[in-house]
Amino acid sequence: MTTESPTPELSYEKPLPPVLELTKPFWDGCREGILQIQFCNICDLPWFPPAEACPRCLQDDWEWRPISGHGTVWSWIRMWQRYFPGWSPEEYPYTVALIKLEEGPYMYSTLVDIEDQDVSCDLAVEVDFRKVNDEITLPVFRPRSA
Amino acid sequence: MSNQPDRSDLRNLQDKTAIVGVGTTEFGAIYRDLDPERSAYELGLIAFREALKDAGLKRTDVDGVIVSRLPHYGRMCEMIGLRHPRFVNVLPGEGRQSGIALQYAALAVANGMADVVACIYGNNGRSAGAKYGGESRGISTQAMFEAPYGMTSPGAVTSMMFRRHQYRYGTTTEPLGHLAISNRANAALNPNAVMQRPITMDDYQSARFIAEPLCLLDYCLINDGGVCFIVTSAERARDLNHTPVLIHATSQASDITPVYVADDFWHEPMSQIADDLFAISEAQREDLAFAQLYDNFTPTMLFTLEGMGFCEPGEGGDWITSERIGLRGELPLNTGGGHTSESYMQGWALHVEAVRQLRQECGERQVDDAQYGLYACAAPLATGHILRRGD
Repeated sequence: MTTESPTPELSYEKPLPPVLELTKPFWDGCREGILQIQFCNICDLPWFPPAEACPRCLQDDWEWRPISGHGTVWSWIRMWQRYFPGWSPEEYPYTVALIKLEEGPYMYSTLVDIEDQDVSCDLAVEVDFRKVNDEITLPVFRPRSA
Repeated sequence: MSNQPDRSDLRNLQDKTAIVGVGTTEFGAIYRDLDPERSAYELGLIAFREALKDAGLKRTDVDGVIVSRLPHYGRMCEMIGLRHPRFVNVLPGEGRQSGIALQYAALAVANGMADVVACIYGNNGRSAGAKYGGESRGISTQAMFEAPYGMTSPGAVTSMMFRRHQYRYGTTTEPLGHLAISNRANAALNPNAVMQRPITMDDYQSARFIAEPLCLLDYCLINDGGVCFIVTSAERARDLNHTPVLIHATSQASDITPVYVADDFWHEPMSQIADDLFAISEAQREDLAFAQLYDNFTPTMLFTLEGMGFCEPGEGGDWITSERIGLRGELPLNTGGGHTSESYMQGWALHVEAVRQLRQECGERQVDDAQYGLYACAAPLATGHILRRGD
C-alpha cells in the first residue's frame, strides 16, 4: 500500500536520496510497494545497503529479490537537534528507528501508526511506504498486525 | 568463526618504544576566541613545537611524521621544514585513529623505518563551523539510506546503541550522568580544559536532549586545538628530558558493519583487546592507575568498561559510581576531563593526559602510584594500549 505523504511535493525540503544505477531497482520496487534487496545467486546471502558484489563470494552474480518486509525494531531514538532543514518545528522530536530485517540486514527508517510511548526495542514491524515524489517512495515501518 | 590467528606476536612490540614528548594548544583560551582563518595545520604546528620542547629534541631529529585530520603530510612537513622524511602517513580525522597513530609510530620505530616519529593532529572544527551531523552529500550510504529519515550524526548511532542497552539490561541514564559529572570535576582541576564549571546530577538530568535518550552533557565538545606526541625507541628515550612513557602493550580489533552499531556493544573487539593487553603485560586490571576511555559520548565509556572486563556485560550501569571512577577511586577515568569537558581532540588529548599522569605532572588531579595506565577506544575499529612509566 502506498500512501501520499501529507507534505505537498513542491515544499518537500527533507534530504532526498540520489538514485544510482546500482540503487534504482530498490527505489523502483518501493514505488510499486515492494521492498527488495540484493541476494547472491551463488550463496543466497542477502545484503543491504546495496553493493557491487556479494561480500562473501565477491562475485557480481546477484539479483534483487522481494523480501518479507518483516523485521523488528533493533533500537530507536527521538531526534531533537535540528541538523537538517525540512522538518518543521512541530515535527520535533522525530523518530528514527533501526530495523533488523527478518532476512538479516539492518535498515534505518522511521515508524508510522504508533505513538512514541508504545515503541519498544524488538517490536515486530512490517514495511509500509510513503510516496515523496514521482521518483522516490520511502519505506517506513509500522507495528506488525497479529 | 574464522580461524583464530596467533596474537602472541603482539609481544614483539612490548616496551620497545616510548612517548618522549607531548604538546597541545591552549584549549580553553582558544575556545573563547573563534577565528575563521585558524588553520588546522597551524594548530598542529603549535602542538609540534611544544612537544619538541617537552622532549628536548631538535626539529632535525624528527624523521617520521604521521598526521591526522590534516589532509596532507606534505604541507605539515613543509611547515616544519622536514624535507626528507623517512616515514610518513595520513590518517583520517576520526577518533578511532588516535590510538592507531601511536601504533603506526611504534611499529615504524621498532622496525627501523624511522628514529623519531612525530604524530600530529590539528582540528579547527569549531572555528570552521563543524556540526558532526546534517550532512547528506554525494552518494554515501548515509545520504541515500539514512538522511531521508533525518538519521545523522555519530551521537545518534551511539544513542541507538545505548537505548538497546537500556532495553536489554535495564540500564538508566544515571551512570552516564556520573561519567559526565566526573569528567567535569576532573576538568575543573585542569587549567587547560575548556569546561571547568562543575556540574551536578540535576544539571545532567535537566540538560536538553540532542538524540534522545542522550542529552547535551553526554556529548563531546566541539573545539579547536592541536595535539602532538613524539615517539622514539626506548633506548633513545633514556637520554631525553623526561621519564619515558613506554608503549608497553597495544592491540587493535574491529567489528565493521554497514550500520556502525554492534549488537554486543562492541564486546567482542574490546574483550579481544583486553585479552591481548593482559596477556602481554604483567599488569592486570587492578594495577592500572587510571583509564583514559574514548568518550565521544558517555555510553562509549560504559561499553568499553564492560567490553574490557572491568565488569560483566550489562553491569556497567551498576559498576559506575562516582567513588569508583573519581581521582581517588578504584579506577580513575578520564583524569583530564575527557572529550566532554577538557577538549574534543578525538583521543589525542587522552593520550597526552595518560603521558602526563605517568610522568606525575598533573598537579591537583594527579592520581597515586601511576606506573601503568590504560587508553581504550571502543568503535567499529577499536584500539587499546597499556602505557608504562619507564623508570
